[in-house]
Amino acid sequence: MEPALIFDLVLLLILIGLAWLLLASTDLFRAVVLFIAFGLLLALAWVRLGAPDVALAEAAIGAGITGALLLVGLGRLGSTERCRFSRAPLTFLQRLSAPVLVGVMIPSISLILLLEVHQLAGTTPGRQGLINAFLDVSGSGHGVTAVLLNFRAWDTLLEKGVLLLALITIWSLDQARPLFHQEDISPQLMGLARLLLPLVIVVAGFVLWQGDQAPGGAFQSGALLSAGILLAILVGYSLPQRWQGLSLRLLLAIGFGVFLLIAAATLLYSGYPLQYPEHLAGSLILLIELVATASIAALLAAAVVGGHPPDDLSTPAAKAPSTSGRR
Amino acid sequence: MTELIVQQNWFVWMTLLPLGAAVATFLAPGQARWIGLTTALFLPFCALAAIAATVFSTAQPLTVGNWPTPLGIELRTDGLALVMLAVTALVGFIISCYALGYFPPRQHHLSRTHYFWPLWLFLWGGCNALFVSGDLFNLYVTLELVSLASVALIALEGGKAALAAALRYLFIGLLGSLAYLLGVGILYATYATLDITLLGEIISDSRLNHAAMSLMIAGLVLKSALFPLHFWLPQAHTMAPAPVSAVLSALVVKAAYVVLLRLWFEVFPALDTLAIGHLLGLLGCVAIIWGSLMALRQERLKLLIAYSTIAQIGYLFLVFPLARGEAMAGAWVGGVLLMMTHACGKAAMFLMAGTIHHTAGSDRISRLAGAGGPIGVQVVVFTLAAATIIGLPPSGGFFAKWLFINAALATGQWWYIAIILSGTLLAAAYIARVLGWAFLDVKRSSYPVIPWVMKWPPLALSVIALVFGLIAYAPVQIALIGAPVSVPLLVEFGP
Repeated sequence: MEPALIFDLVLLLILIGLAWLLLASTDLFRAVVLFIAFGLLLALAWVRLGAPDVALAEAAIGAGITGALLLVGLGRLGSTERCRFSRAPLTFLQRLSAPVLVGVMIPSISLILLLEVHQLAGTTPGRQGLINAFLDVSGSGHGVTAVLLNFRAWDTLLEKGVLLLALITIWSLDQARPLFHQEDISPQLMGLARLLLPLVIVVAGFVLWQGDQAPGGAFQSGALLSAGILLAILVGYSLPQRWQGLSLRLLLAIGFGVFLLIAAATLLYSGYPLQYPEHLAGSLILLIELVATASIAALLAAAVVGGHPPDDLSTPAAKAPSTSGRR
Repeated sequence: MTELIVQQNWFVWMTLLPLGAAVATFLAPGQARWIGLTTALFLPFCALAAIAATVFSTAQPLTVGNWPTPLGIELRTDGLALVMLAVTALVGFIISCYALGYFPPRQHHLSRTHYFWPLWLFLWGGCNALFVSGDLFNLYVTLELVSLASVALIALEGGKAALAAALRYLFIGLLGSLAYLLGVGILYATYATLDITLLGEIISDSRLNHAAMSLMIAGLVLKSALFPLHFWLPQAHTMAPAPVSAVLSALVVKAAYVVLLRLWFEVFPALDTLAIGHLLGLLGCVAIIWGSLMALRQERLKLLIAYSTIAQIGYLFLVFPLARGEAMAGAWVGGVLLMMTHACGKAAMFLMAGTIHHTAGSDRISRLAGAGGPIGVQVVVFTLAAATIIGLPPSGGFFAKWLFINAALATGQWWYIAIILSGTLLAAAYIARVLGWAFLDVKRSSYPVIPWVMKWPPLALSVIALVFGLIAYAPVQIALIGAPVSVPLLVEFGP
């Protein structure tokens, strides 16, 4: 047996085991930690499948930012709610639904997939050939970037919309509350942050820039930057009050807004949305990636902070200390 | 000048404009009302222009970025897309007017007013993107956009119950989306294409494709709330503010159904779908009876309307067993027609329920005693809209049911006729129950004044729903442009 195959099998078994453990866990904190571990190993699985772009995104967003979101959410729940989770009495249908889902539906789907998996090997030539044929005129040297920002840019445009919409949803629910008490900041953390922050910014810039030729790009870079922003917030930096209004909103919306404007301009100019003029394709993709990185970083960080900033729209009485956004 | 207007791809603008307006309302919350209303005013004209461009100059579907189809994403201007764009524009315009009155500018909960507009415009843009999409993965993205916006809108009212309903809707939506996405993944792994037209040509009748189809249909059935997967709908639709309830019942449920229609008639026609069609038809029948009976039992007006939606969704799923052979076109047109009239009628009913709640101070049906006098307009609008839900001539609901009955006769499935007729009787019963209370001779006094935008725009909607049968010829002809049903429409219009 090849060593690579053994590695893959072990990885698969660990993944399934982790998934089971985290679903079965009644302690929410343990489940979140397992979730983060699961995300990191899943990123490894993507690497094994030859999809480093997905692996980067999974590690940064699936494990990192989502893990942070879950931990912050858990912190807000308080200890009583955490315990109640395991004691809610189940109705008959709820009892029935889990065995039906786990015992019947998933095995049957898996069985069909296993039986017919030879068909999946690709009876038709994949899309790769087609992508390569058009890569020269796409304005990007990397197939994944070309697909995301040119061939299927419509999907990416709408996904950016989903991200902004998610933040508006969070803002519509509540006002942001402080993540922690200011006096808790340790000097060690402060020192670490001073070392790490410039590094994070440089690495994020590099990941963004190399997206043109190799795995990387706005989502991965934005996730890294947002981690930097969160670190900055954790050591006590906060966005000045005067930047929490329109400036913050502009930063959050600019990624989607510029993409939309380019779609509108190309539709007006050529009749096809997002048909870039060939000589401008590279620059337009770079522009979209740049503003998207800024927006994604701000959006992910703002999502972890949670809730809208205490601005002039809400009641003047609520003037909580601000923790939102960038340094 | 005329050329410029005709040659614009208006159906693409109908996605870009609301999304752009959503960003604008997010950036300038103070001006949100006017940005929203301007967009809502403009979109019906865009829809007319899109229809005109397709009818007069045979506008072709296009791909985003003008890449060839397996690579790029196709946006379509077929009949189904056009009529749904138009109905959404009409209903959306009325709902936007109503929302101006429902969320007044100076109010204690300022955030509610301000977040309604970006969320609603995102939802509108997402629906429009969904209707024109010809790509399975792009449909997933649009479904996500629509679901997430709906979740936020449900939670807009605030309070524990609304949050719980929104969260449950979020989980349901995610489960449905993921099931759909798994099916898409299987298809893509097999055929290396996501384009609906191309897939429809090359797909074969294999076990794997059946698995993919079942997953996708299950996900969408969950999202469109067919019995027994309807359990989330009554809470979600009644906890929301009135304009949001109208949006959810009239448009959001239909979005998942439009995807189902596209899958059934354009992606999977090569598969043997007889058994699944009968299963969906059976569930539809149960939904009609169950939904109507539950509506009959409700004490609250909004819950009654929500259960009525469940029953009407049941009718929509009768298309799948009925659309066969000669009856193919008839049943398909019936489904599309019902979708359009139900969107108008149900939106009007929910908006009026909101106004009645506003004026009577409660939406208990018993509190409506004697309401027919002082708030007569609202009760009349409610009744007119209800006529299309019951299926009285000349409403669109009547013609849709007529087409279904014709299709049932043509394919020899008489039992569906019995279900359709008993559903009609039950609908008449639960509507009559509301009206019975409203027209009681009780002296009531001192109702609060309500803004005119909450009274008259819904009247237009209910009148359109009522006379839809008389003007149905044009919409049906438009819907049949590029329709996936090749057999000419055999049934006659009119009794």
